[in-house]
Amino acid sequence: MLLVVTYSRAARQTLRNVVRTYEETTVERLGRAALLAETELGALLALRLREKHDEDVLVERTGAFNEFADVPETVRTAATAYEARETPSLPYDAFAADRGHPTTDDLRERPL
Amino acid sequence: MRVTVDGRTRCRRAVDLRDAGVTPEMVLGAVRRDGPPESTAAVTVSCPAPGPVHDHVGHVGEGCGVDLRAALAAAARSRGAVAPQDERLAAVRADLAALDDTTPVSQSERAAARQAVASASDREAALAERVATLRGRLQALRERGEDTTAVERERSEALSTYATVKSERVAAEQRLARCREDARRHRAVGRERLRLEDAAANLARDARATLAERIEPTVERALQRLPGPSDADLRATNERDPVALALAVGRVARLRAPVVLAADRFPSPTAAARYLDAPVVEV
Repeated sequence: MLLVVTYSRAARQTLRNVVRTYEETTVERLGRAALLAETELGALLALRLREKHDEDVLVERTGAFNEFADVPETVRTAATAYEARETPSLPYDAFAADRGHPTTDDLRERPL
Repeated sequence: MRVTVDGRTRCRRAVDLRDAGVTPEMVLGAVRRDGPPESTAAVTVSCPAPGPVHDHVGHVGEGCGVDLRAALAAAARSRGAVAPQDERLAAVRADLAALDDTTPVSQSERAAARQAVASASDREAALAERVATLRGRLQALRERGEDTTAVERERSEALSTYATVKSERVAAEQRLARCREDARRHRAVGRERLRLEDAAANLARDARATLAERIEPTVERALQRLPGPSDADLRATNERDPVALALAVGRVARLRAPVVLAADRFPSPTAAARYLDAPVVEV
């Protein structure tokens, strides 16, 4: 999908008008951002916004997230184990230190 | 207040211009100082400058419905009322004014920077290849014991060009990095500006609502003092009888500039001025 994020009132208003007019091409309306369909029409709308509002619009392309292809097993295991923990009030880093999972400090700077 | 029409000047609180051949718009333009220059205007008015509430109730006539909440809030402020949100609103506006407003590098400049990096990288790669080729040729010539002078010169020229292009590529990459950082900073400021603008709009709206609600009973009492039947519901009155509503708000407001009255509600402009406690020009 195409992610469009706006950074000014004028750009935000144009985006609102666009998603209202092109409902079928709008996957999600997120206030000052929107997800547009990955079609040439979606691209046209995104580019028109950028032409009109220049640096007040950011366009990114998202991709499907496959955690088995994209994420190390240690991280997947940590997520599953933490959500299955017995003590609901236990913060993640305490849990990780106790069970030998990577801490947030370990993970923060490592790119996917 | 001094009103001049057709060379005749009237100097009093209530002026009747109903047969003077002027329209409400002409008088309003004179009062609000946004009409034609005095030398060419049909009517001139000498009076204190109108305050914000005058925008809402300064012109009373058929079809002049008011934005009720805004008019009530403006009337309250004209009497010196202060909303509990005012301090916070001033702080948010100060933060907005303090935001860094420098224009960012445009997308087209960033695209040009990307192109410069790509082109310099391509040339650098081509030159690296050429240097390597010449080194190979030099090696072959030396092994055969042949004269290497010409090729040595070529190689040293190529090396020198390579060094230049390499530093161009590095400079282009630095420029691109600065552009990207600049864009990131601009987005951060934009995000903050949006947040503050939304906060200010919400606070201003809440302030208007608070001030309007507080002054409603006073306006209802003013409505009752108007000749004719009155409806306590201000919204209903605004729909059915906007002239009455505008007059009631005008009475409650502290009006400095004259009200332009284009409705038959009072027996005379003087009676209107007495009700409104403000100068009146009836048209």
